[in-house]
Amino acid sequence: MMTIAVASGKGGAGKTSFAVALASCLGSSCIVADCDVDAANDAIALGAMLAGREDYHAGSGYRIAPGSCTGCGLCAASCRFEAIRAVPGKKAFTVAQELCERCGACLDRCPSRAIETFEKKAGELFVSRTRAGLVLVHAELEPGEDSSGKLVRRVRERAQTLAGAESRIVVDAPPGIGCPVIASLTGADLVVVLVEASSSGIKDAERLIELVESMKRTAIGVINKSGLNAPMDTRAKAILEKAGIPLAGEIPFDPGLRSVEERGLTWAGVEGPAGERVRSAIGAVEGVLGGMERKKHHEGEKEKLA
Amino acid sequence: VSPAIQRTIAVASGKGGTGKTTVAAHLALAASRSRNTILVDLDVEAPDSRGYFPDSEAIGPREAVLVSVPRFTGTGCTGCRTCAASCHFGAIIAIGRTVTVNDKLCKGCGRCVAACPAGALAETEVEVGATSLFRSGALDLLEGRMAIGDIRSTAVIEAAKRRASRAGAELQVRDCPPGVSCPATHAIEGADYVILVAEPTEFSRHDLEAALRLVSGRGMQAGVVINKDGFGTADVAELCGRYGIPVIGRLAFTRERAASGAAAKLWADDPELMGGMEGILAAAMAAAPQPAGGER
Repeated sequence: MMTIAVASGKGGAGKTSFAVALASCLGSSCIVADCDVDAANDAIALGAMLAGREDYHAGSGYRIAPGSCTGCGLCAASCRFEAIRAVPGKKAFTVAQELCERCGACLDRCPSRAIETFEKKAGELFVSRTRAGLVLVHAELEPGEDSSGKLVRRVRERAQTLAGAESRIVVDAPPGIGCPVIASLTGADLVVVLVEASSSGIKDAERLIELVESMKRTAIGVINKSGLNAPMDTRAKAILEKAGIPLAGEIPFDPGLRSVEERGLTWAGVEGPAGERVRSAIGAVEGVLGGMERKKHHEGEKEKLA
Repeated sequence: VSPAIQRTIAVASGKGGTGKTTVAAHLALAASRSRNTILVDLDVEAPDSRGYFPDSEAIGPREAVLVSVPRFTGTGCTGCRTCAASCHFGAIIAIGRTVTVNDKLCKGCGRCVAACPAGALAETEVEVGATSLFRSGALDLLEGRMAIGDIRSTAVIEAAKRRASRAGAELQVRDCPPGVSCPATHAIEGADYVILVAEPTEFSRHDLEAALRLVSGRGMQAGVVINKDGFGTADVAELCGRYGIPVIGRLAFTRERAASGAAAKLWADDPELMGGMEGILAAAMAAAPQPAGGER
């Protein structure tokens, strides 16, 4: 089993489009794990038929029972996140759920046991079959819910349990470099660093590369939206070269690549020069992947002999 | 001098890459021509606002964002493991009379320290990011930046919000992170108005719906800006109508704009675009809840 994660740092760099195109080229045993649980688009991109769903619970939340609160304020004093506030005009306090980190420090401090826990569905996990016959694991976080990292891990682990020994898992990572991204890259054998050839895209990719290096992942680069601004194209190449990350290919900013899902396609199925560049980049990623698989297999054989 | 009334507009989106930073930067620039404005970059994992203002200069110190994490003192521990049981983040491992803290996972809530009956845990501060204050012409710019490899983006976002409020500008324009989970909710919290930036693609439409549900669920005043108008055919306006959230502006897609956007160039001299920003700003200011009696 090999896991390839597609990440970019910046949002809108083309992670989803490239990830689903890559998956569509890796054969029918490929599993797609959409780890962008805040903004899950792989189901749209691949045309998904739902095969199963389950609820996701993030853990207990806290609230203050108005009848039991004496207004002493010890809970607010114990909260380091300024999530507990006085109710205006009343001798009572309330939890601002959008700021609550769900640590439970207030629960320990309340002398009148006014703080109660509650469970709330925080999202859903889905397993689907795509139009092309691939298995897609995806999820939707309830807007405003905490712990997207935990749900990401759930998606990734579910994909692993569904994968066979020869399967490849393509992980579509969320933007950024924080908790859900780290959860997405954990366990990845290969990270496709997708660099949008723009000022912001390059800066964000540099931060991602630093994260990938600190996590000791093997990386390969793909540049997207090239041809808009020549100096940016050069800089995008330079940051990959500086990090010693091989370049799999450059995908042009091309109107023919937009909204291809509306035509039932992925980028890999687009005719013409832009599609050609996509297929060439995917070919290079597959080449590296194949090499890693052979090495892994060889090492496994050696271990068996030993 | 009585402090001016502070208003806050948050620019958010759901999907990344729809143009939050572009809209926030231009909106702040337009606003700074008529009022004291600060642009607050709360996309602390990918802070890109300052890229639009290459001439900006630091006007204040870099302030480290610190989180207090527990330190095992080694004295007094009875091996009761109350600390580990109290931690919801899996940051504490207690074996026998030894407690190990994983600084990276700790949120700094202090619950374990308070819970330890033997006083065997002290606290120490770790840096999770920083805030920096810049100025470009009439516009102030506050940037929050999370340390690479850290997961405590919300601590940096909250620190940046506090510092931005201290700066005392009449108007704060927040550039928020993508998504609809904790970083985004922290970034929009406390705003008077939320501008959601969408593009006419099915991906963006899908992700915008989550953002619309978020702001509607919170009862926040909001409007949608359709960026890259004409780039795709997805009916974003129909979706907004269903949620009763108005479309307050449209920015047409052109390859020239995409190219200058790639270089993070401001269209400060583009009357059509800056006029559009004035319109968006006016719509946001008119719809934002009016502060009662001049006090907030």
